[in-house]
Amino acid sequence: MAMTMRPVVAKRTAAKGLVRGIGVVGRHTKRIAASLSSASLGFVVSLSSVVHDRLGGRVVRLTRGVLWGGDVLHLLLGHPHDPCCAGVLERLQARGVPARIVTDPLAPPARFVWRLDASGPIGRLALDGACDEAIDGVLVRAAPWLDPAGWDPADHAYMQAETQAVLLAWLASLPCPVVNRASAAHWYRPRLPLLAWRPLLAQCALPMPDAVVTNAPDAAERFRRRLAADGVPGAVCTPLTSAAAWLVGPADWPRLAPLLDRTPVCLAEPHGAVTTACIVGGEIVWDPVPPAEAPALASGLRRLAEATGLTFVEVSFAPVREGLAVVAVDARPALEHFSAPAADRILDGLADLLTAGEESDAALEALA
Amino acid sequence: MILVCGGLLDGVTELVCARLDACGYTWHLLDLARFPTGYRLAWRPTGAGAEGHIAGPDWTVDLADLSGVYVRFLGPEGRLPQPDASPEDGVALRAEADACLNALFEDLRCPVVNRVGGGMSNNSKPYQALLLQRAGLEVPPTLVTNDPAAVRAFHDEHGDVIYKSASGVRSIVRRLGAEQLARLDALRDGPAQFQAFIPGENVRVHTVGERVFAARVASEAVDYRYAHLDGLDVEMTPVALPPAVEAACLRAARDLDLLLAGIDLKVTPDGDWYCFEVNPCPGFIYYERHSGLPISLALAELLRG
Repeated sequence: MAMTMRPVVAKRTAAKGLVRGIGVVGRHTKRIAASLSSASLGFVVSLSSVVHDRLGGRVVRLTRGVLWGGDVLHLLLGHPHDPCCAGVLERLQARGVPARIVTDPLAPPARFVWRLDASGPIGRLALDGACDEAIDGVLVRAAPWLDPAGWDPADHAYMQAETQAVLLAWLASLPCPVVNRASAAHWYRPRLPLLAWRPLLAQCALPMPDAVVTNAPDAAERFRRRLAADGVPGAVCTPLTSAAAWLVGPADWPRLAPLLDRTPVCLAEPHGAVTTACIVGGEIVWDPVPPAEAPALASGLRRLAEATGLTFVEVSFAPVREGLAVVAVDARPALEHFSAPAADRILDGLADLLTAGEESDAALEALA
Repeated sequence: MILVCGGLLDGVTELVCARLDACGYTWHLLDLARFPTGYRLAWRPTGAGAEGHIAGPDWTVDLADLSGVYVRFLGPEGRLPQPDASPEDGVALRAEADACLNALFEDLRCPVVNRVGGGMSNNSKPYQALLLQRAGLEVPPTLVTNDPAAVRAFHDEHGDVIYKSASGVRSIVRRLGAEQLARLDALRDGPAQFQAFIPGENVRVHTVGERVFAARVASEAVDYRYAHLDGLDVEMTPVALPPAVEAACLRAARDLDLLLAGIDLKVTPDGDWYCFEVNPCPGFIYYERHSGLPISLALAELLRG
């Protein structure tokens, strides 16, 4: 992306707080930049932005501290067969925005350099091993997966752990938009059962179904009776390590006791038909249609996204005895769960999030 | 009432139990070697904290009566297999049992040392370093790369460089020498982490709630934890931290949601303090015995509330 920009624009940008440190290239940062990049030294900034490259007379996009002369790229970290990755790629390409789906950005021939010192983190990635990418946005759909072919199993597990550890740090330090920039807790546990979400859902005032976690047959029986008293004949039984679930009907309760001798389970009240909400940035996409409670739930959903640092979250609601309640949360939303119109809105929203910087730059260009 | 979740064959858990006894605090052991066999629990995640109880072999405790929980999970070698369970089922059942406890701990209102989420950063050392820096601790100049040229440039810049894993796996610190520099092409298979060697003395800090215990560690070993492998000695002396460093250690522990943290620092001959990493499940018995710092007493008091 080659653009021209007069210094006056840089001043305006700085005044708007979009660019910090223009023209301030200290000895330390110069040394770092020199050691990281073979390209000519330009400005070092503390935010992703567009600045004037004094030496080359051209404008390049910078990502935290080091310049890249290559084209900007939006990275879709996931699998090519993931409908979400494919759909976002299609939209970005339709907008003329370079983008690429990458399963493992560190896989050969990629060249990766990430430094952390007193001036902060600086990263550089050349997917082809030669030309550095100027990463302008990342959609995180999956943690990197290392092909085990050719690896000793123990070495493969080690390298997989190393790759995940490195990418978590890199993603955390990127100044560009990163959709679902995960904390370590979400990076290493991307698919948590509802039980694990409950404390956070409660903090966000999002209602949940009645539930008990137990390996005690008498407690399970009390729960059954409580539901039965309200005319609910069964319960949803879920393991504690996955989102699997099965219905425990009236005839199934006696068979629960042997299972409880082995392991605790979560028993929850059954629910009705699911309405799904997808948080995409500030927007909430309801599917099939927003329920009557949607306005009341919106602030809780936004708080949930804010509390997790995730900008793309799927939350399923369903009616239970006391009204609508959250019955599933997924930090890696599945596009397949949504109708075509909702999926379109989600994909548009993701493309908007990833290109948020582009719009700012276009505005700057217009100013120039 | 205090709940200790661990195994008595584990020295740290044993020390915690002994300290609670010595303090006269009431506690129950949830033996993770056996759990869930022999235990019954039932709790409702209400949104206002878990409600329910846990019953052990000869005790029952209402979750509302818990003043604190100490948990130190055991590896597979410390777990007894469930009767008649296949090895595969045994692994799955252990995972379910651990997930049950972790979900419960997340939902308890009392102090839990430590909840599992806080420890996740330890799986990525560069990520944790980023968080430590944001908490105000200086971290050693760090390079993570699969580019041999970048390593050589980093080595030229700093002269003395160590390397270690970026994850929590195979995490032994080694010096980058001529032999390793000759093998840098192996980096093409995957990145490694390099750090400028920081000269000076190791200082191990334990934060327990808002209390800080620091010990200066004297050893000739590159990684004093493995000094015995090289036949080297370790000496520890209690030391006072500069207020700014102490405050940053507490901030880091809070940011990571760790009520008990082991923080590895080094102080250079020039008086600069660097932080290397935070251990979310520190085996503090080693440091308490060497330094005499009352870490387990502080922990007992934290759990007592």
